Amino acid sequence: MELESLKYIWRSLETPPAQTPDRQDLLALLAQRYRGRGPVARMRRNLIGEGILMCVTYTPAILCYLLAFDGRLSAISWLFGLLAAAFFGYYYRLYRLLKEMQCVTCQVKSNLARQVKTLKKYIRFYLLAGTAMIPVSFSLSYAIIRWKMPSVFTYPSSPAGHSLYLHLHPIPWWGNPVFWLILMAPLTIGIYYANAWYINRLYGRHIKKLQELLREMETE
Amino acid sequence: MLYKVCRLYCFTEADRQDLFQEIVIQLWRSWPAFRREAKFSTWLYRIALNTAISGLRRQRRLIAPTDPDQLPTELQDIQYAADKEEQLQLLYAAIDRLTEVEKALTMLYLEDRSYQEMEEILGISQNNLRVKMNRIKDKLRKITKAVTHGIGKS
Repeated sequence: MELESLKYIWRSLETPPAQTPDRQDLLALLAQRYRGRGPVARMRRNLIGEGILMCVTYTPAILCYLLAFDGRLSAISWLFGLLAAAFFGYYYRLYRLLKEMQCVTCQVKSNLARQVKTLKKYIRFYLLAGTAMIPVSFSLSYAIIRWKMPSVFTYPSSPAGHSLYLHLHPIPWWGNPVFWLILMAPLTIGIYYANAWYINRLYGRHIKKLQELLREMETE
Repeated sequence: MLYKVCRLYCFTEADRQDLFQEIVIQLWRSWPAFRREAKFSTWLYRIALNTAISGLRRQRRLIAPTDPDQLPTELQDIQYAADKEEQLQLLYAAIDRLTEVEKALTMLYLEDRSYQEMEEILGISQNNLRVKMNRIKDKLRKITKAVTHGIGKS
């Protein structure tokens, strides 16, 4: 059988679906709240969900520490506020990348190339920002507590021995930051690898498949 | 045309309906930006194929993949049979074994699109398209195992 004959079969035998949607059906379909099932739509939904969850959890915490305890713990609300702002910046950047990811009216090959490029950028940002979040939040906490609650860093006068020891061997100004740095370095490295594993689990197969498709289109 | 794309890229009726719905939504969203720089059919194919190919949907397989030997080996025998619908099903079964890109190419070929339009839709050069098309014909011929009357014989 020639391919030309198949063209004939293709055109002549194509049976339309039992129910061909008419104009009304199509309008109803467009009017309903449609949840896309494609990966980009899913990623966008997850991102929005995460953003809402963050708002729901952070807002009461910020308000609580700001208004309760006679404002004595307002430093914590500052900390949460800054973290929330950082998260918003992070989500906004990811959302922009997701918007750029697809161009359905472009040529199939250029759309695939765009998806691979943007997805790689998305993953890199996700990995770096996700890893940096912990040391940044620790540093912020340290800076805010030092600024708003300096008493935490002054040592009590009793017991006498303790005070005398500190008097004789005072902790230099860089002692605390270095201590935190030593503590955070392995933690950050661990988080980096955990994040990389998680991201690969989430998007690894998808990006590999896109690259395969692109390679197939490019090679002769 | 949209149904053909859905039929080629999805195995179950539910997936086909989902894909159809998604393509219609994408068409609806993209329509205001349509500048008539490209032919309407080119624009339509781009949206349908981009949605189907790059969507990489999680497929629900109705049946387990069939052994190639059990696929359309008897295409040449049944072509004389009355049931043409069955021929089409066999054709689909053969196309199901192609990759996403090959499916797109085969569909455009069967739709009688010129190589120039295929290039505009897919972004693959015409020379490359011809090479690929020949390879697909060989592949289909191999799949159908109809050496003398194979699909890909040209």
